[in-house]
Amino acid sequence: MTAWLECSVEVDQEAVESVAEVLARYGYNGGVVVEPSWTPGDEGPEFRYDPSRPSVLRTYLPLDAQSEEARQRIEQALWYLGHMRPVGPLQVRTLAEEDWANAWKEHYTVMHIGARTVIVPSWLEYEARPDDVVLRLDPGMAFGTGLHPTTRLCLSLLEQYVQPGMRTLDLGTGSGILAIAAAKLGARPVFALDNDPVAVQVAAENVAHNGVHKVVEVAEGSLGAGRRMGHWLSGDFGEEVPPQPAVPGEAPHTFALIVANLIARVLITLADDLAANLEPGGILISSGIINTREAEVTSALAAAGLHLRERHVEGEWVALVHQG
Amino acid sequence: MAKKLVGVVKLQLPAGKATPAPPVGPALGQYGINIMGFVKEYNEKSAAQAGSIVPVEVSIFSDRSFTAKLLTPPAADLLRKAAGAQKGSGTPNRTSVGQISRVQLRQIAEQKLADMNALDLEGAEKILAGTARSMGIKIVD
Repeated sequence: MTAWLECSVEVDQEAVESVAEVLARYGYNGGVVVEPSWTPGDEGPEFRYDPSRPSVLRTYLPLDAQSEEARQRIEQALWYLGHMRPVGPLQVRTLAEEDWANAWKEHYTVMHIGARTVIVPSWLEYEARPDDVVLRLDPGMAFGTGLHPTTRLCLSLLEQYVQPGMRTLDLGTGSGILAIAAAKLGARPVFALDNDPVAVQVAAENVAHNGVHKVVEVAEGSLGAGRRMGHWLSGDFGEEVPPQPAVPGEAPHTFALIVANLIARVLITLADDLAANLEPGGILISSGIINTREAEVTSALAAAGLHLRERHVEGEWVALVHQG
Repeated sequence: MAKKLVGVVKLQLPAGKATPAPPVGPALGQYGINIMGFVKEYNEKSAAQAGSIVPVEVSIFSDRSFTAKLLTPPAADLLRKAAGAQKGSGTPNRTSVGQISRVQLRQIAEQKLADMNALDLEGAEKILAGTARSMGIKIVD
């Protein structure tokens, strides 16, 4: 696991932008964190910034042969800035990836979604009621905790559409959450594909923990055009990657149900491949669609010959159900 | 009942190219947000501005849900572009890297006002002038 150097500095309001510019010059991926001072408002989500108190700025350097030199350069630049306005001392500490990769788990609890789906973190106990569909999950660094609206929309729609014995594809499976839900609702066989090898490993573990490994097959890959895409969550979307081996779940198989919790752009690119892999009358649940791009996705799927059955919205996110 | 707000963090990230690596992981992991959930949301919202640094304001609530609101480009970026400079000066009190006019300063203030902790346009201009000075960018009449 990579270790990192976290560089933090406390500055007053007027120095935030100039110090951020210095940190962005050296920080990994040009990324800078600004933790402004704020006070809660009267009503829940409201807040106001408090410009009279300082902000904390952070950036991160991969701990390697160059990190010490970069740290010195940051310190030097801040020293010059310090002549013009107050800038706190540069504080440095080392961080291991585990420190944050698992931090969120403390807050991850049992969640009820849809009518009877229950997500139980794999490290917690839960006494199931007779009707519950229990998913035991450890999403690790993969997408799909059930917390995000795009996942919740899919889980509710799976409850509604899965019929026993439906041949199902979960495209971009992430943590495997949707494939496992489909299997527990009676779908079989279920193919779970992802371009991200980390997701494939996490999904396979979750499938095994849920005892659906005889029903769900997890593999690295995608459909048609998706195989050239690489892993969009890591930011290398659109770059050419070497062709991947054929995977189960590819054409000429056809599916009674496809669930694709992706993003608008990928859904548009894959519209024809999704339609080609759906059996006549089959159901496509597409999600991860930001509301501003819904129209583009709808017309791409219509152009691919699919018929819109319904749409569901949660916050800024839209999920669509189409029939082949 | 309204959800309780537990944290507000701003991140400056390359549009459409955020990853779970720092600064995203450590900044948000400590609040209990699933990092991939944020990465997916940020990259999708900022995809159209690929090639720029797009700041995002993340509000985190007690149930570990979050909202991500894109902000205007960093003032430093706007000032640098207006001055035609590649980067800020390493020694701003000695070396100047470029200059901008009062009119340009006002334009940037107008663009940034909504996202700044300034009461009015004048206050925003004052902060931006300070930023320009500390980057080694001169303001000329």
